[in-house]
Amino acid sequence: MTQVAPRRLDTFTLASEPGNERLALARVAGTVKDVGLSDARLERLKTAVAEATMNAIEHGNGNHPEIPVEVEVTQDGDEIIVAISDRGGEIHPDTSEHEEPDLVRKLDGDQSPRGWGLFLIRNMVDAMDITTDGQRHTIWLTMRTGGAA
Amino acid sequence: MTSACEATTRALPGAAVIELSGEVDGSAAAILTEAYERAVTAGPENHDTVVLDFAAVDYINSTGIALIVSVLAKARAERRKVVASGLSPHYREIFDITRLSDFIELFPDLDRAVSQLTHPAA
Repeated sequence: MTQVAPRRLDTFTLASEPGNERLALARVAGTVKDVGLSDARLERLKTAVAEATMNAIEHGNGNHPEIPVEVEVTQDGDEIIVAISDRGGEIHPDTSEHEEPDLVRKLDGDQSPRGWGLFLIRNMVDAMDITTDGQRHTIWLTMRTGGAA
Repeated sequence: MTSACEATTRALPGAAVIELSGEVDGSAAAILTEAYERAVTAGPENHDTVVLDFAAVDYINSTGIALIVSVLAKARAERRKVVASGLSPHYREIFDITRLSDFIELFPDLDRAVSQLTHPAA
């Protein structure tokens, strides 16, 4: 059986400025538009990419425009993998001390109304992984093209 | 490619309607808070229900969800009910995942929300 090597579909960088997550969302959506994701799964991937990029801009790179967020989109068989990297290192405020959001506690004032980013990402994609290599902090988002809508 | 959040308000018998457009993200905080205050204080009667209409909203992110949570918390503290209309299937799913839909009744569109609120037996 022939093994098909992963295929890089796109790679780009963004300045770490609030709002640039919309650029990542639009570009990734354009890159994967013909790979066979259903509309619902494409919407989920877009939300995950936007949230992960927002975290990278804000928490990883501290909104410093000169520090780039790197985005790479790869197809490996029936998996689309989006890797989003910042320079936040291991002490990443969004992931190192993350409390599971609890809506009831939020409504009662026992938890901040915020803190939904990582929760949304986890629930939008088929798999999520986080790696660090020195200062490089990467979130990996995996979405299968053949998954149920 | 981005569009700032805008909010228009109007009063119906017993309900205040906030029609949102553009992007509901962290930058919409003041707009949403002011719209809520304007909506619930408009007209002579008390509005015990607030309708958030999302039909013209093209993007909601996690900080926008946080704003909606804050509006819901304020409304509940004031013993007001919050309902939502016009959410796309994707954002309905996000309301389900976050459990917002446990506390905010969802309607397909504003007309059906208004019809239900003003003629509850219909």
